Amino acid sequence: MTMTDDRSAFYKNTNVAGFDDVPFEEKERLFGLVKADMRFPDYLYGCYECGICVAACPSARFYDFSPRRIAQAAGREDVELVYQQMQEDVWECSQCFSCVRCPRGNNPGGVITVMREVAVKEGLVSAREALEGYSRIIYKIMSTGTQVSPDMLQPDAFPDWGPEVKDVSDNLDLWRRALPPETHHTTSTGWDVDEKTLLELYLIWFHTGALDMIAEVDEGLHMILQEVMEERLEDAGVEV
Amino acid sequence: MSETIAVIGGGPAGLEAARGVAELGGTAVLVEKESFLGGTPIRERYAALTPHFQSAEEAMGVLIDGVTSQPTAEVLLEHEVTACEGEAPDFRLTVTGPGGERVIECGSIIVATGFEHFDPGRETQLYGYYEHPDVLALQDLESMLKDHNVVRPSTGLPPERICFVQCVGSRDRHIGNEYCSKVCCGVASKEAIEVRQQLPGCKVFIFYIDMRMYGYWENQIYWPAQEEHHVQYIKGIITEVLKKGDKLLVRGEDTTMGRPMEVAMDMVILSVGMEPSKGTRAMAGILGIEPNKYGFINAANPPLDTVSTSRRGIFACGASLGPADLEDCASSGGAAAMKALAFLRRKPVKVG
Amino acid sequence: MPIPVEALLKKKEHFERGPDDPRSEDFHHELFELEEQGEWIVHRAPEPWVGVTTKYGNIKKIPKAHLWHHKSCGQCGHIPGYSTSIFWVMRKLGYDYNDPRDQTSCTAWNYYASATSNAGAQAAVAMRNFAAAYESGYFPLIHCGTSYGHYKEVREELMKHPELRAQVRDIMGKLGKQMVMPEEIVHYSEWFYAMRHEIAALQTRDMSGIAATVHPACHYYKLVEGDAIYDPDVYRGQRTAIVTGVAEALGAEVRNYSTWFDCCGFGFRHILVQRDFTRSFATLRKIERMKEEADPDVVLTHDTGCVTTLDKSQFAAMAHGKNVGVPVMSEAQFAALAMGAHPYRVCQLHWHSADYRPLLEKMGIDWQAAWAEFQEDLKKLESGERKFSTWDDVG
Repeated sequence: MTMTDDRSAFYKNTNVAGFDDVPFEEKERLFGLVKADMRFPDYLYGCYECGICVAACPSARFYDFSPRRIAQAAGREDVELVYQQMQEDVWECSQCFSCVRCPRGNNPGGVITVMREVAVKEGLVSAREALEGYSRIIYKIMSTGTQVSPDMLQPDAFPDWGPEVKDVSDNLDLWRRALPPETHHTTSTGWDVDEKTLLELYLIWFHTGALDMIAEVDEGLHMILQEVMEERLEDAGVEV
Repeated sequence: MSETIAVIGGGPAGLEAARGVAELGGTAVLVEKESFLGGTPIRERYAALTPHFQSAEEAMGVLIDGVTSQPTAEVLLEHEVTACEGEAPDFRLTVTGPGGERVIECGSIIVATGFEHFDPGRETQLYGYYEHPDVLALQDLESMLKDHNVVRPSTGLPPERICFVQCVGSRDRHIGNEYCSKVCCGVASKEAIEVRQQLPGCKVFIFYIDMRMYGYWENQIYWPAQEEHHVQYIKGIITEVLKKGDKLLVRGEDTTMGRPMEVAMDMVILSVGMEPSKGTRAMAGILGIEPNKYGFINAANPPLDTVSTSRRGIFACGASLGPADLEDCASSGGAAAMKALAFLRRKPVKVG
Repeated sequence: MPIPVEALLKKKEHFERGPDDPRSEDFHHELFELEEQGEWIVHRAPEPWVGVTTKYGNIKKIPKAHLWHHKSCGQCGHIPGYSTSIFWVMRKLGYDYNDPRDQTSCTAWNYYASATSNAGAQAAVAMRNFAAAYESGYFPLIHCGTSYGHYKEVREELMKHPELRAQVRDIMGKLGKQMVMPEEIVHYSEWFYAMRHEIAALQTRDMSGIAATVHPACHYYKLVEGDAIYDPDVYRGQRTAIVTGVAEALGAEVRNYSTWFDCCGFGFRHILVQRDFTRSFATLRKIERMKEEADPDVVLTHDTGCVTTLDKSQFAAMAHGKNVGVPVMSEAQFAALAMGAHPYRVCQLHWHSADYRPLLEKMGIDWQAAWAEFQEDLKKLESGERKFSTWDDVG
């Protein structure tokens, strides 16, 4: 069976309840990327199927999620099951790393971290869907070097957090200026970050390929980020 | 030539080795650091032995009589080996006891210094052995079974629900004990049967990763535990034990449902594995024999020679080599006696 | 009780690890070896430092002074009383520090939430921050539990993988920065633990009537679990002593509950875009259990995500009739209150959700008067009489 170079046919359909099926070779390829990650041998040895990871896992109590099944699927190289897990299961993990209690030394949360990265890099629709609503946060962290800034506390964004959110947003500037630490008088970032520091951060995103990963998640976001970063670097006379 | 063989350690393996040496016409000197013979089964007050349920005292008694009745077997209680000089077949073994020092001149040496139970405080999982009075280890329960007094330490009352947790301290890469301790599945099941016999109203559960029932143990222990004594076996090991009210909550995975589960227990018994005893670790250093990476004495020519060490004329048997059940102790004790004596009797090879 | 049971209980009183535990091998040897090979500079912990014991019996150096505050985005952004309290306590104890602008978030929140990053980027972000601290002459103190756990992970990866070190060295070169690895990765709560007696010596408010439950952060003690504080006098060395040690030193009554080891349910992305999971977990597994079994006056924890999760999840749960309603704060804020800090000017409790006022009343704090004082500050800021509140203004 030949594999078409144009994989976009499988990833264009965003209107799905489940996920699109792809040829077996594609699933093998995706699993191959997971296995080839530098960290993978540190994260997966054998599996006793003992259930310690599930017992310790918060997500297993809420979702139909099992770190044991993640370890078993990867251990057995069951590329069909791994492919399925890459669509939904991996986004249910809360990355608490309680599962590193594994007596074999496995790190199912770590395996999931690698699976997620592959899902993002390879532009899986399910990854894009999982990260919908998250673009703002990605923008903030990548461009300002801090996350969940004070001005993100808006009552329509967090109605379930209580009436204080409205108090914060109504009084934001004043309340921030009432903070004694000199670096905390900011509203659009958590603290005041030096321009030079930001440029160093941008260079890190460029040189490690982290920025490019965003292109697969949200093309518009990627474009904006790239523009902002390149502009600021140019202004400072730094070449990328 | 002297056919004196020093046997270090008076537990089941050492007793069998010493008896074997004497029966075959050699002279055995058995050095034991405690004031009694019988080793761990006696020191830890084991109730019945696995799998035949004979009394530990009676069984050890037979082995002990087997040695003390031999005219060419000498027993040195409360003595410890403190130094070793020379090469086979002329060892000079210094032992220290209440009377002072003494040097034993022997042709070969048999190490039978055994194991100690894994300390649950070092366990990766969160069992709270040092926090909760009602979390005990296998040998703790043995002692209660022996006294026919199985009670919750917190209340002094018999438990209604008791569970065993397997593989504690074994099969764990973090701890470094990358081996199975062989006997704990059988011992836990035996203790489970005894609890059911002594407390018919008590429900007994065993949480396990694998049930290791080698050979005839399958039908000697496992089947009766389930079929006659209704011990509940649950595949899915426990990771946490916490206090809730006056009970203990144990947390594991219900693998039939594939979901986390937590259930209340009155007592939790940790099936602790075997580690080299302090004596075994010490002998490796004093006698200059190689330990393996776990600290047990390394059997130098596995799998067919199970008792030779890295040094000529020095042999090891029983749990000093690694996890061992009583049959292993008897077998390797006998093999060590045979080889230690044969070593001395072999005609020297003429060179040239 | 019959003799055997007494003997058993006696045996279980004291745990001694013994010398043969392979996990007691000290990773510092490798750090210094790599330094000798020219792979990086090890940023030594400055004197004076306090030695604390970690899980497998090793000593960890906690510098008392000359600290570079590696801030937490979630703290500074949403619960700024947390970081303010850390600075305030350090100032009161008289130790100098650096609050840098040359610091980025560890970015682990993004990494774990969205995976729009990779091992190289994460390691480079960490090393850039460590180099910035080294350049300043101050030693990094990590505010966030997740940053701390993540940096421990990064340290392991860098120690293990020469290709990762090579990649990061290349990038640091482009930034004009050296490869620097701190001798210890220190969490602020470890500083609080090390300083707990000095803090208690400056205590002005009586905490003996306060019942607290402690929630230890997963990323503090589950990641690279050997590098976390354990103390034979706290939980008999069977659970991490962090936070509990401080609460007990301040005279509070620390109460147990049956989900002590459970995660709070933060889940990174979940708390922002899938809050039903976070909320269910935090309320059903943590807050309700704490209330039911321990009935605490306050929940103490030591990580940004945990404070946020446990605090913010209660409001909506209350509408569903759940047994919630207990204030949540960091032990830093609790220690600050014990030392007489202003609940609003320093601890900034008005940013919190669950009602903290009964707790303040129990501590003998007139929160209405305190709020009025804070309102006065705000008026001054509004009128332009003051541009910002300073450390002198907050007491």
